[in-house]
Amino acid sequence: MLRTVLRLRLTTTWHQLQRDWWRVLFLLGGAVWSLSLVPAVLWAARILGYNDAQTKAEALAVVAGVLLLGWIIVPLLVTGLDDTLDPSRFASLGIEPGRLAPSLGVATLLTVPGLFFAFVLIGLATSWRTEHPKPWPLLAGIVGAILTWLAMVFAARIAAAWGARVLGSRRSREAALLVSLVVLAIAVPAVWVIVRDGLELVLEYDLRVLMRQLDVTPVGAGMSAPRHLVEGDAWGTVWRLGMMLAWVAVLARAWRATVAHALVNPVYRGGGARTRDDSILALAQRRGDARPHRAVRARLVRYWFSDPRYLSNLVGVIVMPIAVVALLVPVLGLDARWTFVAPVLLAATIGWGRHNDVAYDSTALWVDVTAGRLGTAVMRGRMEAVLVWAVPAVAVLAVAALAWTRAWWLAPALVGACVGVLGSTLGVSAITAVVFPYRAPAPGESPFGAEVGSVGASLIAQLMSSLATAAVLPLSVVPLVLALALDPRWGWVSAIVGTVSGIGVYLLGVRAGGVVYDRRSGSLVGLVA
Amino acid sequence: MPDAVAEVPAVASAPALSLRGLSKRFGSTVAVAGVDLDIPAGSFYGVVGPNGAGKTTTLSMATGLLTPDSGTVHVHGIDLWRHPAQAKPMLGVLPDGLHTFDRLTGAELISYAGLLRGMDPAVVRERRDDLLAALDLDASSRTLVTDFSAGMKKKIVLACALVHAPRVLVLDEPFEAVDPVSAGAIRRILAAFVETGGTVVMSSHVMALVERLCDRVAIVGRGRVLAHGTLDEVRGGMDLEERFVALVGDKAEHRDLEWLRQARE
Repeated sequence: MLRTVLRLRLTTTWHQLQRDWWRVLFLLGGAVWSLSLVPAVLWAARILGYNDAQTKAEALAVVAGVLLLGWIIVPLLVTGLDDTLDPSRFASLGIEPGRLAPSLGVATLLTVPGLFFAFVLIGLATSWRTEHPKPWPLLAGIVGAILTWLAMVFAARIAAAWGARVLGSRRSREAALLVSLVVLAIAVPAVWVIVRDGLELVLEYDLRVLMRQLDVTPVGAGMSAPRHLVEGDAWGTVWRLGMMLAWVAVLARAWRATVAHALVNPVYRGGGARTRDDSILALAQRRGDARPHRAVRARLVRYWFSDPRYLSNLVGVIVMPIAVVALLVPVLGLDARWTFVAPVLLAATIGWGRHNDVAYDSTALWVDVTAGRLGTAVMRGRMEAVLVWAVPAVAVLAVAALAWTRAWWLAPALVGACVGVLGSTLGVSAITAVVFPYRAPAPGESPFGAEVGSVGASLIAQLMSSLATAAVLPLSVVPLVLALALDPRWGWVSAIVGTVSGIGVYLLGVRAGGVVYDRRSGSLVGLVA
Repeated sequence: MPDAVAEVPAVASAPALSLRGLSKRFGSTVAVAGVDLDIPAGSFYGVVGPNGAGKTTTLSMATGLLTPDSGTVHVHGIDLWRHPAQAKPMLGVLPDGLHTFDRLTGAELISYAGLLRGMDPAVVRERRDDLLAALDLDASSRTLVTDFSAGMKKKIVLACALVHAPRVLVLDEPFEAVDPVSAGAIRRILAAFVETGGTVVMSSHVMALVERLCDRVAIVGRGRVLAHGTLDEVRGGMDLEERFVALVGDKAEHRDLEWLRQARE
């Protein structure tokens, strides 16, 4: 069974490489990167060897914690990931979970990243060889490293299996909300403590407490266990390794249960008890006439607030700039005027984020294409649907920044810059979305996944839209910077230039995007499919 | 937007759909290699062919979804790729294997299709309710399309193709996954449409269905039209399936799966 699974894995990888040559580059890049880290790991192990047992144990526990976090999060977020070993793919073969689960588990351990991180953990554990009583700390360290590695890989597999199920289901909105709440619950007190105590004190004190906790949990206990042996507490080492062993056993059981569950429970996207009135028609009836762009806008507004792919985009695009500024300004002790970056950055990320807007319709865009020559109406409706939530979001943040700094005299400058940035980035996106569309997750797929094969196209599209955005942004941003740094009178320049350029580029972009849409209507379905 | 059906200058003598020299190649694969086909107005036209024959590619090019490498498409005499704004409103399209806007409810999807074509909201409302009733989708009109079964999705997309009362219907596998009761309803709708002068072009794998519904047939294979004409012309005395297999070419070898035979008691 194990041999079959491994051969399957190798064969699919080989075929993939034959189909998409650029994957070789990624593979080579990954290999070079991994190899380049080998000396660094050995060097780190050597440096650690010079340190006392406590420092070593704490450092190793933190490394284990960070790696665990990475192993869990990266597979959920990285696009175009290989899912050959997804248990549910084996469902139709009728294999007992008891035979399949160990094979899939071992096959995961034997992947390139799996082996590489085994090397990293064991390599770091060799730093215990300088300790007495010889050779027991080194031995305990290696055993602990292997257990930590097993726990890490299994935890990651279990998380990926369930994460993919949740993201692919209709419950993803609730799940995303829950995760955001958890992140907030951790981030808010953390920021508050940092603001209160200052970064240095936090690093010195709170982080220490956290590190000490890692030592007694399955996250870091395996890596820090030898310390207690060195300090004469052999029992401390034994029970930590025992706990790790038990933890690995629990995870192995959980993995088996996960495989067994996945085999007989295909992802179920139903739950369609929710009903709605026909709001698309109601809107048109209220207006008393039918303008195609209004229908498109109404449809996109529905998507923005109900489709997980759009929702995750919306949440990410709004949270990111706010989080960056809210963290950096107090932590780095920056001047309050830096808060003005937040609304401008928000406008830019919203606008640039729509550079692949059309592809999110996936092949469903045939409805728009076959209905006539509607490019301009379609692009107008799409972009107006973004404005429906983007304008309030940017406005709220701009007012918040002004209120926080009490620099109300800078309001014209800030409003001008925001209108300019939002309008011009959306205008650019309206064009790139039809000139360089690349495959986005299809309806019902995980919002973070990109289909295999789109990486090359997405790189070009992102590069081009970034360049175009970089070309139009200075027009709106420079006057604001001058108003902040030099002379408030630049604010009026910002207000006029920003408003004119923002609205102008937006209208031009939508018009041009519509024309290109019509011209390329015969290839759009193929490009996003 | 003008009301599509009324203002189009009708070319009375022209075929409902006229394909000339259509070809399309994907990389090194030739999907469609020069298809010429005239579909007379008022006919119920069946397009049959084996998997990979180029049926879907041809129908995509005929409906404005895929730019042909060469060749032309005329809808009632109007060049589709030159004048899409005039030609597309005459078409009602049901593609196969493409997504729909599944976050809308069934009713909303029909309304959307109608409003997109600039129809008056009051008319859209009336026709939407008619279509939902006719296709037995009343009960699920307020449910999101994503929760529909495969057959219901076919029906709701068919409703979208009908809402603007097109002159030509281009349907790719319209009966796939549809239950017999709904299939009967769809057959009746299409037959009445053809009877009053409309044109239906339909692709299918099911020969019996084509023989029962269509008055004209084209057999497509390896990207070309192998035979076309009235049903009787194409059949030439055989039944359609025999003729199809004879034209397309049977498998070279019928290997016997001896090991599959069950031991008799």
